Amino acid sequence: MKSGRFLRRGVLPALLLACFSLFAPVAAPAAPGALNDKFLAPVTPVAYRVQAALAEPLGEGRYSRELQQAILHNLSFLPFLEILDPAAIPGGVRLTAASGPELDFERFRLSRADNLITTLWINSRQVEMRAFEVLGGRFMFGSRFDLPDSGSVGDVADEFCAQFMEALTGRGDFFRSMITFSRKDGPRKSDIWVVKPTGGELRQITNIPGDSISPAWSHDGRFIVFGNIDSKSHALGVWDARSNRVQRLRFPGNTVIGPCFMPDNKVAVSLTDGRNPSIFLLDHSFRKEKPLINSSGIDVSPSVEASGEKMVYTSSRMGNPHIFMTDLKTGATLKISNEGTYNTDPSISPDGTLVAFARQMGGGHRIFVHDLRTGRETQVTFGPGSDEQPEFAPDSYFIAFASTRSGGRKIYLTTRHGGEARQVDTGRGDSSFPAWGLRK
Amino acid sequence: MNRFTRLTLLLALVTALFVMNGCTVGQVAKPGATGSQTLTETQAVEVLRTNPVYFAYDRYDLDTAARNDLRQKSDILKQFPRISMQIEGHCDERGTEEYNLALGERRARAVYDYLLMLGVPASQLSTHSYGKMYPAVQGNSEAAWSKNRRAEFNASR
Repeated sequence: MKSGRFLRRGVLPALLLACFSLFAPVAAPAAPGALNDKFLAPVTPVAYRVQAALAEPLGEGRYSRELQQAILHNLSFLPFLEILDPAAIPGGVRLTAASGPELDFERFRLSRADNLITTLWINSRQVEMRAFEVLGGRFMFGSRFDLPDSGSVGDVADEFCAQFMEALTGRGDFFRSMITFSRKDGPRKSDIWVVKPTGGELRQITNIPGDSISPAWSHDGRFIVFGNIDSKSHALGVWDARSNRVQRLRFPGNTVIGPCFMPDNKVAVSLTDGRNPSIFLLDHSFRKEKPLINSSGIDVSPSVEASGEKMVYTSSRMGNPHIFMTDLKTGATLKISNEGTYNTDPSISPDGTLVAFARQMGGGHRIFVHDLRTGRETQVTFGPGSDEQPEFAPDSYFIAFASTRSGGRKIYLTTRHGGEARQVDTGRGDSSFPAWGLRK
Repeated sequence: MNRFTRLTLLLALVTALFVMNGCTVGQVAKPGATGSQTLTETQAVEVLRTNPVYFAYDRYDLDTAARNDLRQKSDILKQFPRISMQIEGHCDERGTEEYNLALGERRARAVYDYLLMLGVPASQLSTHSYGKMYPAVQGNSEAAWSKNRRAEFNASR
């Protein structure tokens, strides 16, 4: 779909400085790979949101309308971005040029747009898309894409939006990721599915007896591991993308709970050593290698940051379930949750700075985010129903979680700052246990 | 056939009948019965499947009622060594799935350990946790929750 970038990448610091000049005296440019916290600050009614305008496409494209709609749909998931109503722009969004000196920025300046996106169809199946910073009239980036069929529209929209988010925040992986989850498909039957976080490309990847839950994606995108519970036993399910086959591996003790991948593609999972469920490391052949966490209580739900150094998990070593973090190099352990009596389902952000978890409250569970740098704790969901199983996206910004707020259990997206939750379309049936992976 | 041979055959027949009878019928106390009653193996399986063991919230220790019931189950299991029993741990709906799977396992394991202590061979027992997946009673009151925090017994020959 993508034939390669042909336009020189814009100067990000200049863009950010210009954007922030509307609301802050000085704004530092986003370092590569780092989130720009100004943009990703909590969204409140008085918070600043980036305003972008989407120009009408120029030229005749076979999938012009579909691509425009897909981009609008994608960008609507960014809580820090607002797409301006074309009717609010003097002269509208129909332009005579998609770039160069003839590009009219003035109408967008008058509309207080921060960014402008233009689309130019070179021919019926090839398109150029550009993003500009409006105030200074500066070019941010541009790409040319091939659209051989209607199926490529979504991929092109995803890649352009990923580049746009990357230009604004330093990370665009949200639009390059997939969510795997467990979906109830009948009595005593759940299977593992995948879907884009923005909806679409919904696909069932397992169809085996029993309940398949707690999926986790390997960092290389090849495997999804999950727990499978049938009438006889627990097992570790392993789906291999190369063969599209599922293995079911049993372990002594008959307990397999909440697997997660380590950065080196080994697996951490709770097994029973005859006493309490404890967290073990499995080798690359999914055989038990060594215990990782083995306290006097229950130890479940491991989650590991991208570097593989810090692991968070639920432990009942002090009586009630609480969130703990262990440095896997030194063994140093820290209790993370200090409020409440029932804290479970931890997820550490890939950048290792935040821990999301579920806390039992009066009317169900709610999602909290603990900042490891400051120790500050923020409630990011407020029900109704029960909000559980938070999972950080690869960008450490978005959080997927399962909630019963609409009656049945569905998957929603929020951010590390909270804000309005958005439901992910996972089709019929209850959906739960969201986990992220990058498309390969 | 002389007298000695007839006596030997009769003795062998009586012994065989006794052995066969001993494999399928036992003297155990039926739950709720005042005295010892005879159970067939089929009846023993049915008796073992009754009377779940209940637990307090977020706990897996056995109370007196549970221990008394497990003593009866242990007698039956020891009487019928061909019966195997899967102990299934369950939780109420309030906790989260993964922790409840671990808690259910811990409940099943507490029952397993107690039956072992009472002399039931490990070869007859296994454990399985369903967490909160399959409540016995629907509802979101303590009355319902207390019936769902349980260990059930799936006995079979």
